[in-house]
Amino acid sequence: MIKKYTTLLKAGVMEMLHFRLSVLVLVAGNMLYLAVIYFLWKAIFDSAGTESVNGMTFESTLIYLVLATALFNFMEMYIVWDMGRTIQSGKIVLDLIKPMDYKNYMFWAFSGNVAAQFFTTFLPTFIVVALVTKGAIPLGTNLIAFAVSVILGIVINFNVDFIVGTICLYTESIWGINIMKQVIVLLFSGATIPLAFFPEGLRRVVDLLPFRAIYDAPLTILLSINGITDDVLYTIAIQIVWVIILEILSRGFWKISLRQITVNGG
Amino acid sequence: MNNKGLAFYIKIYGRILAQDLKSKMSYRADFIISMLGMIFTDAAGFITFWIMFRNFSSIQEWEYYEMLFLYGFSLIAITPVQCLLDNNWSLRINVREGDFIKYCFRPINLFFYYESEVFDVKGLGQLGVGVFTLVYAWIKLGLGCNVMMVLKVIVFLISASLFMMAMQNAAAATCFWIENSFYVLDLAFKLKDYAKYPVTIFGPVFRFVFTFVFPIAFIAYYPSLVILRPDNVPLLTWLAPPLGILFFYLSYRFWMLGAMKYNGTGS
Repeated sequence: MIKKYTTLLKAGVMEMLHFRLSVLVLVAGNMLYLAVIYFLWKAIFDSAGTESVNGMTFESTLIYLVLATALFNFMEMYIVWDMGRTIQSGKIVLDLIKPMDYKNYMFWAFSGNVAAQFFTTFLPTFIVVALVTKGAIPLGTNLIAFAVSVILGIVINFNVDFIVGTICLYTESIWGINIMKQVIVLLFSGATIPLAFFPEGLRRVVDLLPFRAIYDAPLTILLSINGITDDVLYTIAIQIVWVIILEILSRGFWKISLRQITVNGG
Repeated sequence: MNNKGLAFYIKIYGRILAQDLKSKMSYRADFIISMLGMIFTDAAGFITFWIMFRNFSSIQEWEYYEMLFLYGFSLIAITPVQCLLDNNWSLRINVREGDFIKYCFRPINLFFYYESEVFDVKGLGQLGVGVFTLVYAWIKLGLGCNVMMVLKVIVFLISASLFMMAMQNAAAATCFWIENSFYVLDLAFKLKDYAKYPVTIFGPVFRFVFTFVFPIAFIAYYPSLVILRPDNVPLLTWLAPPLGILFFYLSYRFWMLGAMKYNGTGS
């Protein structure tokens, strides 16, 4: 029962390791990105003249953004691309006749990538940040809560992707749909600018959207000094609510949309 | 191969463009959604600056509208690469699957023919946001306007776009030598996102890298100084047009070098 899932997971890991050069280029690209945000925010805080702005110091902003980037690279599944492409080419029928629920199949097939990305992107970044900042990341019970929160974040992210991927059944504009999703998620999840800097009105909008439950929730938990507090539990509770809502929405939407499917030959 | 005149190439580009647009118009929904996606992306950059400057008044000596000026400038400068050289994204697939060989047998310039096949219309959305941002920042900064300034902006926009085209060309051409060159191209393309910051915020090493290795400082920072800091224009700014031509030419040679050694896949 479990074995079919772990097999898919293993295949994903092996596929990832096959492309070593691309991993190298990816890592180089990320280092460059991190250097750019380091210099940018250093210049910003130098010009501000004060130690902290909206409760964020240069150090906490940087830790937040670096880890947000690492989380993004680790949690991104590129589901929309894959769904869009298989829908366009008609290969989706092969996935639909598999003796496994399509959504579960997609989740487990891509979980291998995510697992590999955890070791290639998030873990090294986390270790470097923890060592360089010497104790800015509390290493206690918050790590357990963080692990739970990350898994919930992955599920939420997957569901958002799955819903957006389902839209590809209606339109064949994969690039456009995917880029819109990415822009909205990155901006409203706090991965581009920490949510603490958002003006009041925009904050209230962001609180109503599921996106902050993807990156901001696990990050806030990771950086909370007091271990598992009521705030942490509240954050996780909100994530669980989002998982339930999105799970229902995505399954319902998929079921309705499947009647729409048109496959170009085969 | 290169003995045909410019007029010939313009005429032929017009013909191919018309065909391409006709086929694109049959996917109208895709066209609209892609355009929206482009505008979304660029608008998000605008919003990011807006949020940033709600909390901070300046970055080094650069204030909000000056940063928007750089941003608008960079968006316009990357429009040509988006519109004209979009086929570079398919290059590695054409090369790997052997379709590339068909371009080698036409009696016109290979690079020209390959790139002319696709005109990316959604790049015009980027141009729209870019022009809006630039004009908005220009007015808010109260820079005034005369023929000389407009001419300068146009010349420097063109040279800025040459740098971006050069980087993307060179990155795309790596596919003639390495497999899975998507990540190289993707990296080169992402570098453009850093062009909107003044290069002075970076440390000396990165300033050098962003000026001479990956010349993104020439996409917005150096050329914008002509308008934003007219009393203090560095030599590198004036060198931008010839350097842009040089970089573009080198990338073209590199691209052709790869294309010339291409043997096809035998199928």
